[in-house]
Amino acid sequence: SSREHKLNFKKSKEVCLNYIQDAMLQKQWKRAAEFLTFYIESLEKDFSTEYMGPSEMIWRIGTEILCHHSHSSMKEFNSFIEQMKTLGVKRYLKVCLEHAFHLLCNGLVDEAYQNLSLAESWRFGEQTVIQDKEMKLIQAYRGLLDYYSWSKQKNVLLEHGHDGFEDLSVEQEMHSCFRKAAVNLKEIIKIPGVWDLFVKCYVDLLEFYGDHNEARQVLNEYAYNSKFPANPNAHVYLYQFLKRHGESKKSLISALKILHDIVPSHELMIDFNTMLQKSKKRKKRRLGLEVIFAALDYAGWKENVKAWNCLARQVKQIVISEKHLDWIKQEWNSRKDWWPAFHFSRYLAKRNWQENESLSYEKALVAGILLGKDCKYFKYISHQGCKAQVKRFRILKKFVNKHNPVYLRISS
Amino acid sequence: WLPSTWAVPAGPCSVPAGSWVPSLAPQDILYRGILRRKLRAGKSGAALDFTRQLGHFFVDHPEDAFGSLGQLLHKNFYLGNSKLRRQARDSTIRMTALMEEIDRLEARRGCPRQYLTSRLRWFSHLCRDWLFEVPLGLLADCVHEELLLQWASLLFDDSPTGGALAWLPPEDVGARTGRLVYPGGQAMNHLYFQDVVLEELPRARGSPAQFELNGRIRQVAAARADGEDFVGIRSDYHCGVWRVPGRTGAAPTPLQVIRTSVPASCLTVSPHLPGELAVCTQSGTVYLWSVETGLQRLRHDPQTMFFRDHSPWRWSDFTAHPRVLSCADRTGLQCLDARAPERCHFDLFKVGEEASCQQGERVVLPMYLGKAHPSQHLVTTQFSVYVLDERLPLVPVLKWAHMMKAPPLFAHLTPGGPGRSHKVLLGASRTQELLLLQYRGERQGGSQSACQLVGPPQKLHNIAGCLQHLPTQLPHRHRLLQQRLGAPAAGLAAALHEDGPRESLLVFQLSEAGDVFCQRLTHEAAQPPPPTVGDEAEPRASPQPTLAVPSPAAALRYRRWLKALPKVCRERPRHAWPPTLSQKRLFTRKELEPPAVPSTLHRQARQRLRQAMREGGCIQHWDPPASQPPALPQPPESPGGPDPLSARLTASWSGDWGQWWEERMSFNVAQRQRALRERRRRQKRARGRRSLSASFTSSLTYQSELSELSDAAPPPLSPGPPSVLPREGSPLGGSPPASPLPDEALLSSQSLRCRGIPKERRKTLRDYLAVWAEGPPESPEPPGSQASQLCIPSSQSQLSSA
Repeated sequence: SSREHKLNFKKSKEVCLNYIQDAMLQKQWKRAAEFLTFYIESLEKDFSTEYMGPSEMIWRIGTEILCHHSHSSMKEFNSFIEQMKTLGVKRYLKVCLEHAFHLLCNGLVDEAYQNLSLAESWRFGEQTVIQDKEMKLIQAYRGLLDYYSWSKQKNVLLEHGHDGFEDLSVEQEMHSCFRKAAVNLKEIIKIPGVWDLFVKCYVDLLEFYGDHNEARQVLNEYAYNSKFPANPNAHVYLYQFLKRHGESKKSLISALKILHDIVPSHELMIDFNTMLQKSKKRKKRRLGLEVIFAALDYAGWKENVKAWNCLARQVKQIVISEKHLDWIKQEWNSRKDWWPAFHFSRYLAKRNWQENESLSYEKALVAGILLGKDCKYFKYISHQGCKAQVKRFRILKKFVNKHNPVYLRISS
Repeated sequence: WLPSTWAVPAGPCSVPAGSWVPSLAPQDILYRGILRRKLRAGKSGAALDFTRQLGHFFVDHPEDAFGSLGQLLHKNFYLGNSKLRRQARDSTIRMTALMEEIDRLEARRGCPRQYLTSRLRWFSHLCRDWLFEVPLGLLADCVHEELLLQWASLLFDDSPTGGALAWLPPEDVGARTGRLVYPGGQAMNHLYFQDVVLEELPRARGSPAQFELNGRIRQVAAARADGEDFVGIRSDYHCGVWRVPGRTGAAPTPLQVIRTSVPASCLTVSPHLPGELAVCTQSGTVYLWSVETGLQRLRHDPQTMFFRDHSPWRWSDFTAHPRVLSCADRTGLQCLDARAPERCHFDLFKVGEEASCQQGERVVLPMYLGKAHPSQHLVTTQFSVYVLDERLPLVPVLKWAHMMKAPPLFAHLTPGGPGRSHKVLLGASRTQELLLLQYRGERQGGSQSACQLVGPPQKLHNIAGCLQHLPTQLPHRHRLLQQRLGAPAAGLAAALHEDGPRESLLVFQLSEAGDVFCQRLTHEAAQPPPPTVGDEAEPRASPQPTLAVPSPAAALRYRRWLKALPKVCRERPRHAWPPTLSQKRLFTRKELEPPAVPSTLHRQARQRLRQAMREGGCIQHWDPPASQPPALPQPPESPGGPDPLSARLTASWSGDWGQWWEERMSFNVAQRQRALRERRRRQKRARGRRSLSASFTSSLTYQSELSELSDAAPPPLSPGPPSVLPREGSPLGGSPPASPLPDEALLSSQSLRCRGIPKERRKTLRDYLAVWAEGPPESPEPPGSQASQLCIPSSQSQLSSA
């Protein structure tokens, strides 16, 4: 009958959990809290081998309830979390980290910092791999807070510096913050992962103290180390760094080229295209056309006037010069079966004309060249434009009519 | 940020959809009765009642099961009541008795005293090898396999993934008439396009456009491309696409249908290009289906992508790039470029370390969140919800453990405008759970902010929750209603309705019975701290959640729905009653006819029965008729010579019993018959002065012996078996039996014989009456299990077509 007893206990535990969940999902925090006090009994016989044991449940549920309960205070929250920390040794660091987040969300930066420092000095038995990782995270977040106070002091100094006033102690403190932050941030970004925030702060620190080489190395490592997940942001940071330091076009282009390969729909592709279009090298201009075509493949770019403007400009250039029409032809070949329906339908012509005249202008130009003067989109827009007596549409119509043979060559 | 709060009242959306066939329930294919209890005690998991299904197959499809041998043998089997002529006896056997026994078994189905008679056992042993059209072992394998499949789908049925309900919003933002697309009909094979006006309560306008399809509709998917709605319909072996013009009132037109040889598991409609869909089949094939250019196979791989998983379920959806499709199985998601599917692909989501998945976690439903952000995807598993970004694959940008009891098979996204949160609804099928969560993602082109949940997730009302708003019902109607409202959910849709400053979200939920229910969530601009309903009230002791009370209009809607319900499902399934024992097959009418001169006992029994029925009681014992004890049977006339028993006893006493037996067996059968007839004639003459006790005379037992002989039963050959003889003979020679207990008198074979009830039915009747005499019968099966018999034909039709 002890088995039966155990079963009953388990059953009532589950029922209780269901009640709590029900109450929480209906925002009845008070009721949920009441049930939670009953649920705590389940800790008594916690033999569960489940993914999430009762002690973790209690921590998570309790935190959620205290976050929303109308009568809860920060003090109560803190004391609850302190209890939770002692409840499960394996989870200590995780609880500390989340506690720090909660304090930060409530603007209690100093308390959060203290909390993280305390957690850092905590030791329990042999360190496991997971604990090691979590410890690194705690250190990194403390480093982030150091960076935060560093940048605050930096701003103070910069303001006062204008007044010709210098405070050695503030400066010293700032430097010590820098050292503390740099050590911890450097550690975490060695581990493969997505550390955008830490990398940005660390690079900022290094740049301020003029250590450009180190900063470049960090960014290169972050972007090109194959152990890290493919992260478009890493390339964006590298590109922005290079741009800040007035690096050569070539290195900028190579940074963006990789970004283009990973995420052809990135916002920076417009910059990339303009950069390439200005280039004297044929190959680069060719790449520019590829880039802008690829960007416009994506649904998110459908109504991007800038992008359509880039494409229209480049296509127009090519048509006028009558050189490299084969570029357009090649790009168009893989798209002619679906771009007309995707970009140049009659429905879109109507909508674009109503919502955004300049968008419809750019698109009509591209449509007129790629699909000829009889294409639905071009016909509708030029008709509407001429009817509304807008001069540029009349010019557009003339231009497309004049270059209609190009269409035949492209589509052949 | 401030969470927006939504308040909830719920109600039915339209009139009930008509009668429905409840889908398979566990008790339909599990063992019931004693065996189940034994198995459960042994804890050996689910015990599938495989013999019952096999039996159903034989009964429902006799032609398929025994067709050719039945035709071959029908000349040799005689089923009539009369005796066979001598010439015919060489090639024909009389099967009447066997048939009667089968009938009796049928009539006693569910009777706790059911057992197989030896004759049946004998026959089945004899013909096991040759009678069946399909070899029995092979057929049994197939049935067993099918049962296992059915059981697996009962544990988790992924066929309705995606949901069979779609909302086509009005073309102009301000307009109020949209369209609901949903399946209906008894087999869920009718497709309805119903105009719905969004008002305080959504109202159906006009009658729906209706299409009859060739199979149960599993999924309805819809997307708007180029100002027109495209609706994809998936059933097991057919997928179809309809076009619905944007303007209201325009009729939907069917465009194309494809047929698959393996059941399709997914159909999604492209939000980018008109008339493009993605189709997956359970063989692991993914197609891009264009109405104009036809099917393009993108992938064929029966194996799962990242690790081995036995599930044949596949899913595919569109991505930010119109030519790139996501492909999913239970282990994760990949994106493939339709222009070069072999070369260009990347992993979008993997069940594993990157997303810190739990052990045993599997993908349940992926969905493209293009309306909220062009590069985001939702992936639900049985434990968590993930939001993924195509640009930074594998590492989820949002993860939340949903803690739903059943895996979320339906999801719906309502994008929020700039600065607003996106609302995702998750729905489960079996438990009807409905969950609303709000998240805020990175704004396009705006500042970079992390993807995060806004406010706590919220549980919405489910269909079964409506029961408490309906007026009180009679218990059996209440149960029916409960069953109807508790049908698993089949789909989920939502419509955002802006009425001036007031904004509300209408959530539609479809049940497997075809009913559409709707609830309205009104947006309350949140103030810090958000006022919550029920928080101000005094603490409640009971665990009842505070109920949102439906408005008067909604209450009226409830009542109207309830009134219409019995009308639409008038043909009640016949199995809703507690099990009854049919006596139709126990006795023929002739047998039940009262004797011309009713005896006293008969009259008395009748009277007692009437009284018991009047009182609603139950007859425990047949008390002895108080006034007149039964007349003692008169000693039988002594026939000429010693009676067989005395002869036998004398023989065995002197030690040569074996010889006596030999002599007896060699006794000419014809001679014996003649002698017996002679005796019978004599008794007939004497019957006039006999009372009921006359039935104790032995001559009648001899008559039964006679009939056994004529039944061509094999005569006993060795001295072992004839144990019948002493028993039947005993009343003859021994002292006249003491007055038998009256109940036994009623049930004794002689008294039954006296009513002309043939021998082989006497035992049945005795058992039958004994069940009632023993006391209250076993409590009947729980009513829910009765639905079972309804569904079995459907599973069998599947079986036979397989």
